[in-house]
Amino acid sequence: MATDIQARRLVRPTPRNFARSILLTLPIALWSLLMFFHPGANTDLASRLAGAITAIFMIAMFFTMMRTGTTYRWRRWFFVSVGLLFPIGFIHNVMVMRGSMGIPIEEMIAGRTPFCFMPIPLLILPAALTRTVVFPGSIVPGGGMSGHGIAEMVGLWLAITLVVGKGWCSYACFFGGIEEGMAAIPKRPKIRKLDPRWRYGPWAVLLAMVLLSLALFEPAYCNWLCPFKAVSEYVAARNTVGLIQNGIFIVLFGALVIVLPLLTKKRTQCSWFCPFGAFQSIFNKISIFEVKIDQTRCKPCVLCQNACPNLSLSKESVAKGEALMSCMKCGACVDVCPRQAVVWHIKGTEVAWKPERARLLFLYGAWAMAVMFGGSIIAQGISTILHYFA
Amino acid sequence: MKLRAKLGYTAAGLTVLAALLTPFLLMGMFAKGIVALRLHVDEMYSGGPKVRIFEHGAYSIAVHRAVYPHMLQTEKPFVQLDWSPVNALPAHVSDVVDIDGDGQPDIRVSFDVPKDPKAQLRVDVEPIDQVNQVSAKYQAMRNAGKEKYSRLIVRVDNSILVRVPLKKP
Repeated sequence: MATDIQARRLVRPTPRNFARSILLTLPIALWSLLMFFHPGANTDLASRLAGAITAIFMIAMFFTMMRTGTTYRWRRWFFVSVGLLFPIGFIHNVMVMRGSMGIPIEEMIAGRTPFCFMPIPLLILPAALTRTVVFPGSIVPGGGMSGHGIAEMVGLWLAITLVVGKGWCSYACFFGGIEEGMAAIPKRPKIRKLDPRWRYGPWAVLLAMVLLSLALFEPAYCNWLCPFKAVSEYVAARNTVGLIQNGIFIVLFGALVIVLPLLTKKRTQCSWFCPFGAFQSIFNKISIFEVKIDQTRCKPCVLCQNACPNLSLSKESVAKGEALMSCMKCGACVDVCPRQAVVWHIKGTEVAWKPERARLLFLYGAWAMAVMFGGSIIAQGISTILHYFA
Repeated sequence: MKLRAKLGYTAAGLTVLAALLTPFLLMGMFAKGIVALRLHVDEMYSGGPKVRIFEHGAYSIAVHRAVYPHMLQTEKPFVQLDWSPVNALPAHVSDVVDIDGDGQPDIRVSFDVPKDPKAQLRVDVEPIDQVNQVSAKYQAMRNAGKEKYSRLIVRVDNSILVRVPLKKP
């Protein structure tokens, strides 16, 4: 225990000079103002106020990252806010537009099913083989609850993926924040020993769902397994099958997003189950930013492995000096390392050569995306709450 | 600095640039690329393209191309018919429809049009050939609601859609 506390004391990098931190935050401050206050951005007082609150929040979190030299904790505030506010804004929208969280069959036929990023990997094979999108949405903008089409969501996903790779799961996913928030509640995990074979879970689910979606010509994951249907929208239970589907959503949400993160302090849905996360891991291979371990400094203490919310560090990977391809670039391992052996890295450069420069470049890209996408979700959620109380 | 490192920093700089261009250019460019692939939503959801339209005075009936399930899809083949506009329909509709365009009526479709747009719809479909004791191409439906994609009556915007399941050949 003493070593643990001592190690955590060593963690904090020297705070950056206040004026320099302000200077480094300036580009993000300007970006936030552009995103939330461009002409036509907010039409009413509640939306303007929500935009202002969100901009201040995003700028403050980035400033704190610059000032303290740490990433994870501040990113988590943002990420949990997205996770909690997304259902508020979304459910409100759904209730106003159709009066229920259940999607009636006529809305699916009309192509008005909201499209999130989760089914993207499931659509690829049917689209490649038959040019058919196996989702009851609209391809061009104008369909879907929010007016965005499938093409627009896929375009947004491609752009963000190009910038952050699997960092999507830490800076853009609007579901992961719920379980990250749950995992942050307990001081210590109740369950410490986790079988490393669970890491293959998302790949197994991905393979099964891709094949099933091709065979059944339907987004099988959305219809049967997505835990987040419990807090967004679900299949309107017209019959016994619908009831079973909704039962599965609720059980998976309760187990993987609420109970297990509380017991393990890990993002269990992401680590063990999420097929989109597994798919997104592939893009870590082309991402220019990564997390490396400087083996000249590393004295294997497993602090980084314990801190990783996604089981992306193993004894073997640490020995190799790198994180596994499932790394979400959340920064937990970098922040916790007492010897600053775990570092942000740009491919092609030497490990631990100016890691702060690599961190800055990554964070500018990732935070710009976070402000644009996650920030808009936060603003919508706050705006919904303000409308409710107004 | 080594060439690899220089390339690494250049790529990192381009990544930041890509982030800045995302809302103004990149996202839209990728979206246009997806649209240019000329994909279409599965006809099990969309009902397939319209092949002919019959005018019935103030309203019209659109006949869609028959939709057949892919691989292990659990639905039956069906054909979709749209009655529109809803506000021009009488309180009770009972129309014979020539689905295949051969000049002979194929089915009689009967349903009530409630004034409340959220009211449950029910439909009866009677294959005309069945009346003549000839093997019918279309399945009969009695008091059907919205059980399956291939067997339903629903109101979508200003149309009433009826999906009639086909008999297996």
